[in-house]
Amino acid sequence: MLTPKERLRMILDGQNADRPACICPGGMMNMVTSELMDKVKVHMPEAHNDARQMADLAKAVYEEGCFENYGVPFCMTVEAEEMGAKVDMGSHVYEPHVVEYVIDSVSDYKRLTPVDITRGRAKVVLDAIRILKEETEGVPIVGNLTGPISTASSVMEPVVFYKELRKKNQEAHEYMEFITEQLIAFGRAQIEAGADIIAISDPSGTGEILGPKYFKEFAVTYINNLLDSLQDEKMGSIVHICGQMSPVYKEVNEVHSSALSFDSIVPMKEAREHLKDRVLMGNVSTYALEFGDPDRVKMLTRGCVKNGSDIISPACGLGMKSPLANVQSILACLKEDA
Amino acid sequence: MSSKEELLQRLSDGVVDMEEDDVAEAAQEYLDAGYPAFDGIMEGLVDGMNRASQLYEEEEYFVTDVLLCSDAMYAGLDILRPHLPEVSNDDKITGIIGVVEGDTHDIGKNLVKIMLETAGFNMIDLGRDVPLTQFVERAKEHNADFVCMSTLMTTTMGGMETVIHLLEEAGLRDKVKVMIGGGPISQKYADKIGADGYSQNAVEAVKLAKRLLNIA
Repeated sequence: MLTPKERLRMILDGQNADRPACICPGGMMNMVTSELMDKVKVHMPEAHNDARQMADLAKAVYEEGCFENYGVPFCMTVEAEEMGAKVDMGSHVYEPHVVEYVIDSVSDYKRLTPVDITRGRAKVVLDAIRILKEETEGVPIVGNLTGPISTASSVMEPVVFYKELRKKNQEAHEYMEFITEQLIAFGRAQIEAGADIIAISDPSGTGEILGPKYFKEFAVTYINNLLDSLQDEKMGSIVHICGQMSPVYKEVNEVHSSALSFDSIVPMKEAREHLKDRVLMGNVSTYALEFGDPDRVKMLTRGCVKNGSDIISPACGLGMKSPLANVQSILACLKEDA
Repeated sequence: MSSKEELLQRLSDGVVDMEEDDVAEAAQEYLDAGYPAFDGIMEGLVDGMNRASQLYEEEEYFVTDVLLCSDAMYAGLDILRPHLPEVSNDDKITGIIGVVEGDTHDIGKNLVKIMLETAGFNMIDLGRDVPLTQFVERAKEHNADFVCMSTLMTTTMGGMETVIHLLEEAGLRDKVKVMIGGGPISQKYADKIGADGYSQNAVEAVKLAKRLLNIA
């Protein structure tokens, strides 16, 4: 019997495992629900600021039979906050989100505070990873990073940012280099702390928003810079990109991650056809997970497997009100069919 | 000196080509030559924006392109609009638009607003992370004909249903159409929460608004 970690390692290495893995990374891909929090009596928003609580909540996700991994943090605001953005920590149902930007233009990036991994919530995340590393084994620990484009558009107004990719092209590249350096520092520290996998979600860097040219020039370039600068000793990496892939399959295939993950708008069958040699992750509808029933979730899970997904996961972050029974049926189904 | 047609073409092309400065210059020349501001807006700027949305629909243009086109359009509007004959906004069909509480992703919302404004609707933009009660208060205050809500996050989409209930409680539900959109939203979700319509993108949103409000 493979441990979840052995299974995921085999899949990421392109080998045949006994069955698909069942993962929900964390970060943007939220895997915590209200029912789970009530059950283990650890709650958000407190868990965003406390390494012990963060680790305990991450553990609960595995222990309650939801997913075969641990993952932290549970939001995508850590990097932006460390660089000076003001963050509303949300509530037990809303995720933290940025409420005040730091700069007005890509050319002002020198005014940003570099991410200091020894303090603030960056440290909370790293401490949580250390706790998980020390207290658990056999289950992969996923460290999450907000993607370069999404981070860049979290410390300044996204509309201005998108326009300046074209209007101030050279400065936009300098800005993106700075942002990517911060993510590299945080990502490397996560691996040092014990993360097995780095998952990067870049929902603001979609092909639909940027178009193929800018998707390649900015999203792919800096995601790859980030991936290439992480230590080799990690088990692997996952990149999640939102939105339709049809305009950018060619470009997305150039992303250097071990696995690619898409949201539910991308038919797994279509992704498999376009990305024959890639390890694919996804994409059980979060709508079905919140409003459907276990049978429907199992049907969708089998659909993902049949259509070529190697790692079964929710297509996006889980809605907080998703019933635990629904969430648990993805893994239950994979075990039944194995 | 350029003819009216040449200047209209320049306004339209400037919007399509995202040439903010040239659009502003052309708009000034157009006014100086004594041509009516209304035609400049409709046959120049709006024509250009419609061409841009056509390109967007055909996947020639993407969101970043459309944002820059709209900048060029607004640069022209700033110059031409003060020279329009007074028309009160009361005559226009009014929509409330915003990103629901808990979410700050507003690119899609901005795009929908631009397209709806281009199509002639008077749009009241509540911004992002909008407290749910505000949709109802502002709809009442502005005597709105429709309310548009968006979110990119699964965790916040439930707020849309709350707004619909709040509209019911305020006795406004029969007076306003509710349109929703955003990443995790679908027609199915719209049906489930009792919204009047869902659109997948900004161009579709204009068609939807017109259909719901019976505008040709």
